[in-house]
Amino acid sequence: MYNTQIARFKPLSLILLVAFLGACAAPSYGPVVEDLSVSARHSERLPSSSTNVYAKDSAKGSTNAAVSSEASAIVDTAQPTLYVAPKTEVTITAQPILNQVITPSPSPSPSPEVAMPVVQGVQLPVSDQAVVEQLLAEADQLKAQGKVTQAVIQLQRAQRIAPREPKVYARLAALLLSLGEASRAEQLALKGLTLVPNKKSYQYYFWKLIGASRSHLGDGKGEASAIYEAEKYK
Amino acid sequence: MTKRRTRNKASVKASVGWISWLWIAKFSTVLLVLGTVSLIYLDAQIRHRFEGHRWSLPAKVYARPLEIFSGQQLAAGQLDYELTQLGYRFVKQARAPGQVQKTNQGMVIYSRGFRFADGDQHGRLVEVSLQSNKITRLRQTNGTSIALLRLEPQLVGGIYPSHNEDRELIQLDDLPNGFIETLLALEDRNYYSHYGVSPWGIARAMLANIKAGAVVQGGSTLTQQLVKNFYLTDRQTLWRKLIEAPMALLLNIHYSKDEVLEVYLNEVFVGQSGKRAIHGFGLASRFYFGQPLNELKLHQVALLVGLVKGPSYYNPQRHPKRATKRRNLVLSVLAQQGLISDIQKVKYQGLPLDLTEASQVSRYPAYMDVVRQQLQQLYPASALSSHGLRIFTSLDPWVQYQADRAMVEQVSKIKQRYGDIEGLQGATVVSHRDSGELLALVGDHNGGYAGHNWALDRSRQVGSLLKPVIHLAALETGRYSLGTIIDDAPISLPQPDGSLWKPQNYDLKSHGKVPMYEALVKSYNQANVRLGLQVGVENVLLQLNRMGVEQVIPAYPSVLLGAVEMSPLQVNQVYQTIAGNGFYSPLSLVRQVTEANGRLLSHFPFAVRQAASNDAIYSLQHEMRMVANEGTARGVYRYLPTQQKVAAKTGTTNDQKDSWFSGFSGQHVATVWLGREDAKPTPLTGASGALNVWGQLMQNLAYSAYEDIKPQSIEYYYLNVASGKAMPNNCPNGVWLPMSKKLAPSFNTTCGY
Repeated sequence: MYNTQIARFKPLSLILLVAFLGACAAPSYGPVVEDLSVSARHSERLPSSSTNVYAKDSAKGSTNAAVSSEASAIVDTAQPTLYVAPKTEVTITAQPILNQVITPSPSPSPSPEVAMPVVQGVQLPVSDQAVVEQLLAEADQLKAQGKVTQAVIQLQRAQRIAPREPKVYARLAALLLSLGEASRAEQLALKGLTLVPNKKSYQYYFWKLIGASRSHLGDGKGEASAIYEAEKYK
Repeated sequence: MTKRRTRNKASVKASVGWISWLWIAKFSTVLLVLGTVSLIYLDAQIRHRFEGHRWSLPAKVYARPLEIFSGQQLAAGQLDYELTQLGYRFVKQARAPGQVQKTNQGMVIYSRGFRFADGDQHGRLVEVSLQSNKITRLRQTNGTSIALLRLEPQLVGGIYPSHNEDRELIQLDDLPNGFIETLLALEDRNYYSHYGVSPWGIARAMLANIKAGAVVQGGSTLTQQLVKNFYLTDRQTLWRKLIEAPMALLLNIHYSKDEVLEVYLNEVFVGQSGKRAIHGFGLASRFYFGQPLNELKLHQVALLVGLVKGPSYYNPQRHPKRATKRRNLVLSVLAQQGLISDIQKVKYQGLPLDLTEASQVSRYPAYMDVVRQQLQQLYPASALSSHGLRIFTSLDPWVQYQADRAMVEQVSKIKQRYGDIEGLQGATVVSHRDSGELLALVGDHNGGYAGHNWALDRSRQVGSLLKPVIHLAALETGRYSLGTIIDDAPISLPQPDGSLWKPQNYDLKSHGKVPMYEALVKSYNQANVRLGLQVGVENVLLQLNRMGVEQVIPAYPSVLLGAVEMSPLQVNQVYQTIAGNGFYSPLSLVRQVTEANGRLLSHFPFAVRQAASNDAIYSLQHEMRMVANEGTARGVYRYLPTQQKVAAKTGTTNDQKDSWFSGFSGQHVATVWLGREDAKPTPLTGASGALNVWGQLMQNLAYSAYEDIKPQSIEYYYLNVASGKAMPNNCPNGVWLPMSKKLAPSFNTTCGY
């Protein structure tokens, strides 16, 4: 009797199973599972960068910490994103948009910090634009906090506001050189030079910086000529 | 199965009643299990959907923030325009973020806080003093001067997912006073006490509707509305009706009232803009009022809440009367329920709708097009359309506005003068002189753009715009100065196919021996071809390459007269290098990309690369200034004050198929092209066509001092241009020219030869 009972329930369990499977597969549930949010598949994740120039700064998330600590008045309404964000920042390569191609910049060798006693003892004149001095001070502060990328962004902001202010070029070039971006530093210093044909302290400073950059790039001859130029303005 | 069932039936025929009971029991068990399974399934769905309530958030694209600092020159009307675009309200006394107050000296601005890529910035109350559009001082209310005020950037567009849902996420804290009360009064009075569904609510709503003689309240709870919006499609099916209530109950069990409400506030559909669906009150507030939600006043809140019932029927932009009626009804309900007094009701009902004046359609199609193209190189489409990335660009809304205007107005003037020119098209590119940042793009003759972005997608012959490159290549050799004499005699060259190429001057005359600068100022073809041949076509092309043109161009002599096709963007890149004192900076438009929470993902480094020596560039800039002062480009001074220095060049191609103008002021580099879609001749030269667009544009941009920084190796000499020799200052008909000291001309003590 007991056995027959169980035997009787066998079809029932089959029906249940079918019902369950059906429930899972039923097309009428379709609308319910429609999910408008898009979760990133691995292939769709943001490119994790092999091109990070500012690894020192970015890896430790110092940005976030600092932002949230002073964020009380500002409401950021966004949700955390789904994808696994790259651990490092992507630096968009300075490539012309004309070609419509942005390739990751050839990763600059993770060079050791270039010591910056390059241009010691040179006191650059105070800018007559208060806004420049303020932004430079802010950049210094950010750099001191280890937020090097933010410092670079702040200096680029200063460059837009005061594009003919040599001090901005001097600071940006020096910072870039300290990050191992010697080529960019050299070119910025060269541009800076065009702004100061009659300002000795700047000419000295820029030529020293160009010399140090060329040294970093392994251009001994170029370095020598830059040092020769610098001596003229000492 | 059938077999077994028959056997069973056969074996227990005696107790039929018992069997049917058993079957009912079995059947109910199946139903129960099915129900439970469905419920579990629904439950899982709800939790999955709710806990991961991650909307796909379009990337937001921002314009550059306006930096206001002491000493800064703005254009007339610019500050008012920018503030209006940002949704600032002009009030008698600025008391809250987003308000401006005009004063005798200027204005008091209460800026809004914003999370920039370089950190957070709080809203500030700052008194801005202006004198003829120049900022003279910035002061805080306590009297201390500050150096800089950065306004928040204007949101100029988004990159939408295919379903085109757009929203701006908000939290309960972002709601203005009275918002929740208004919403609940209208949609769900017992929200905080019901269980997700409310039979009483339905009854009450019916009663209220009968009383009002119209449908003012809906019966379903906010929870049910959310379930409808969030989990179900619009299809009206029985199934949907059946599961709506249990889902609402489940939602109510699992989540707090505040959590559900917050999701509702972000999910609700409140409007449509073209293909873009406006979801959530956060975006709705921006969309209708141009303001963040927390700045809204009660009459605006009432309008938004009233819209829930029928966003298209009550669309305040299209049906302002209907919308006003609806809003006033909402205010009446608030008064009925004692939430506001009758006096308040009357006051708010008397206010205008206060909709934003800023257009909500994308005003920057050409610019956004390039932003999109560039981002697609960096991020997968799904990341752009769903992760709420924030894209900071260098788009300058004022420059873009003026560039659009100049194109539309000048094209219309041209058509008045010359009659309709079939298929006339145009494009403008504007960049920042020393950073290479793109400030504005006009991709079409009417400021919009459909199909082709003429600033980028199409290349046309550049004509005389190439001449400055010939001069630069010549100056770079160190053997040429602006006073070097060039022969403008007729010239003929054998072509590869054996024929002779005989370039002619525009006036069909030859001008004999002319100093090099004059060849550029008057744009003589014969002299410039001769100069180019002396320098070598390859060297000219090499110089062009250093200035950012990377395409391979065969070195035919015809290149010297601009038989090379370039887009306006490319031309602007070349002139950018000249303007940037010989330093090439790649034109860029994305400054930074951050995650939604502000974390920096990418930034565009400012980089330069020297493409010409300082001496050569200084001389070339001087020549190009002369082109504007006394040469083919002098028409710009119909638009500009005489003291404003600009350097420029006109360009006209064979049969006047293309009308070009490119040049720069102290701050801006701009290139304009006009021509027909089918590349057929037009009545326009560079000077009679594109020049006018350029002139009007520059006229309306902030005046900027053009700083000439003379290199030490350059000296000015007073030249007798016929002899190419320097002469005493008091001689007539001489011209001051900058030259490299190494090429110092010999000095004649007399005025003649």
